[in-house]
Amino acid sequence: MLSPRKIAVLAFSMFVSFVGQASAEDFRIGAIFPLSGANADYGDLYMGATELAVSHLNEAKALGGKLSIAYEDSQALPQQGVIAMNKLVNVEKVSYVLSAFTGVSKAISTTAMRSHTVAVNGGGVGPDLAELGEYFWNVIPLANFEVRAMAPYLVQKRGLKRVVLVYVDDPLGQSIKRELESSLPPLGGMLAEALSVPSNAQQFSGIAARVRDANPDVVYIASFGAQQSQIIKQLRDNGVTQQLASYSGFAIPAIANLPEAKGALFTTQRIDWNSEDPVTKRFTQEYQLKTKRAPTAYAANYYNAVLLFGTLASAVQKAGQPVTGENLLAKRREIGAFDLVGGRLSFEKDGTIRSAMQINEVDGGAGKVVEVVAAP
Amino acid sequence: MLLVQLIINGVQVGALYGLTAVGFSLIFGATKIFHFAHGASFAISAYVFYYLYAVLNLGWPISILACSIAVVLFGVTLDRYVYVPIQRSNGSFFTVFVASFGVAVVIQNLIGTVFGRGFISVSSALSKSVEVAPGLYVAPTAGIAIVIAAACFVALQLFLGRTNIGIALRALSESPALVRTFGLNPKAISTCAFALGSLLVVPAAVLTSMTSGLNAAIGGRVMLISIAATIVGGVGSLRGAACAGLLLGVAENLAVWRFDPQWSEAVTFIILFTFIVLRPSGFFGRVVTS
Repeated sequence: MLSPRKIAVLAFSMFVSFVGQASAEDFRIGAIFPLSGANADYGDLYMGATELAVSHLNEAKALGGKLSIAYEDSQALPQQGVIAMNKLVNVEKVSYVLSAFTGVSKAISTTAMRSHTVAVNGGGVGPDLAELGEYFWNVIPLANFEVRAMAPYLVQKRGLKRVVLVYVDDPLGQSIKRELESSLPPLGGMLAEALSVPSNAQQFSGIAARVRDANPDVVYIASFGAQQSQIIKQLRDNGVTQQLASYSGFAIPAIANLPEAKGALFTTQRIDWNSEDPVTKRFTQEYQLKTKRAPTAYAANYYNAVLLFGTLASAVQKAGQPVTGENLLAKRREIGAFDLVGGRLSFEKDGTIRSAMQINEVDGGAGKVVEVVAAP
Repeated sequence: MLLVQLIINGVQVGALYGLTAVGFSLIFGATKIFHFAHGASFAISAYVFYYLYAVLNLGWPISILACSIAVVLFGVTLDRYVYVPIQRSNGSFFTVFVASFGVAVVIQNLIGTVFGRGFISVSSALSKSVEVAPGLYVAPTAGIAIVIAAACFVALQLFLGRTNIGIALRALSESPALVRTFGLNPKAISTCAFALGSLLVVPAAVLTSMTSGLNAAIGGRVMLISIAATIVGGVGSLRGAACAGLLLGVAENLAVWRFDPQWSEAVTFIILFTFIVLRPSGFFGRVVTS
């Protein structure tokens, strides 16, 4: 005969197994964002979009259970990113992780490949991100496409031929340098000087002197976070009056609100915020309502990344399969094109989307589109 | 002209480094406490000034006064309620350092929570450079930084050399036992060192908020410079810390003249390493004040 103690243990086990079954249909994905440090602005921006996407998917009951996101702080540092990725894969057991920043994304990609966990980047733009294996996807056009869109506009349409690059010495900055070196000469432009800065540098008055000395027509800044704001302010304060240009790193509120950045040009993928496309329209309206900010390409990318998981996981469930990295990858290949913010997007073989680009001008708000460049 | 420009930039930056380093060196020299939270003092001062001047538009006299009070209160409170209790319970030098480091981390995160972790700056016409000669740009803040740094240093020398409390501060760094023998209270003198050392970061913090701008993690860099300047200048030497701060600022900028700007940060460590190897006692050895 069972003792009361054994009955209690048995009852508790049954309760635990019941609770376990009840929550088995819930889904949890991971996100490795910079939530502290000098680049925390980006993490804040991304989270506004991912939480909106989660609420939309949960409202629509797109998945069997409730979707939630396990956030981990990378501080935009590769080492922290790897620690976060290991935790998400081994402890949280997620099959889908959102990633940001080129260095962090490259660092976590090996774990993604080894564990067959899908990693989706919506913020890093280093061209190397297209070569990180089948489990690493990019829902953002990479920097080589951004530079290839900006260079002809500067040289041919604005007549700004002499370029000085101020770049942070990391994989992103180095790739932008390579891209400028190769794309400017055929257009009749030239990279007059490339000045690299460490990612933790805060003093740029000396660099401003070097920039003035090089006498450029345009200064291309390839940095990110708080540092790029510091570069802009110190260049302007120290007598650099030339046109400023950059990549999608400028698509953050901190730059939009910086008086010294007004008039600077930057590239992003093409998104018509006034589009009547239902996904874009809903995102644009509700993102503004929820976050009190104008929508940006970054926000759209991370919203898209979560929406993509919803679409793929739902399809995997309908096929009667478990939601694993392998099955998500197979479904992405099978479905091909997806209705996301910005229209219908499809992935290239290397897991990267390619889209039309737009050149924006910082105007204190969401940015003014000055040129649209067709998809390569 | 590039060389002249870089020297002027370097002197401006170095003057601010010097002021911050002198504050750290004064506290360390007098109390032997490795006040790692000195960088946090800098950040508190800068952010309080930013909030009062740029957000509440209270005007610079009130803003500077308020940030001075805030930073002195922070330094004194830390000494009284963190360092002294640890020392009273026979906490080691390292224990005090860890406590100070912990406080610095807490303050950095508090600032990040309250003000955000992104870049902020105080817009001021004083930070806008004007072309004073062909290709030579100087901002009013450069002159202000140099004049204020010189004035603060002279005032500090007079204070330490000609007032009873200043002499007591110097005595404390030499022999706390002797200070007690003369009927003075080492704790009260230590409090004075923290107040004065913390106050010295205010000009640098205010000017930095206008020139380079701020982020929540700015205290770490300030500490790095302060430690390097204290070692290069000679531990305990205020004159040495001031000169070393100036040297680091000028060297950092001059490095940009011939090398890739990437090397300007490394210059601090090269100078530090050179001094540690060739002249471990620094510029002026271990003298409290000249």
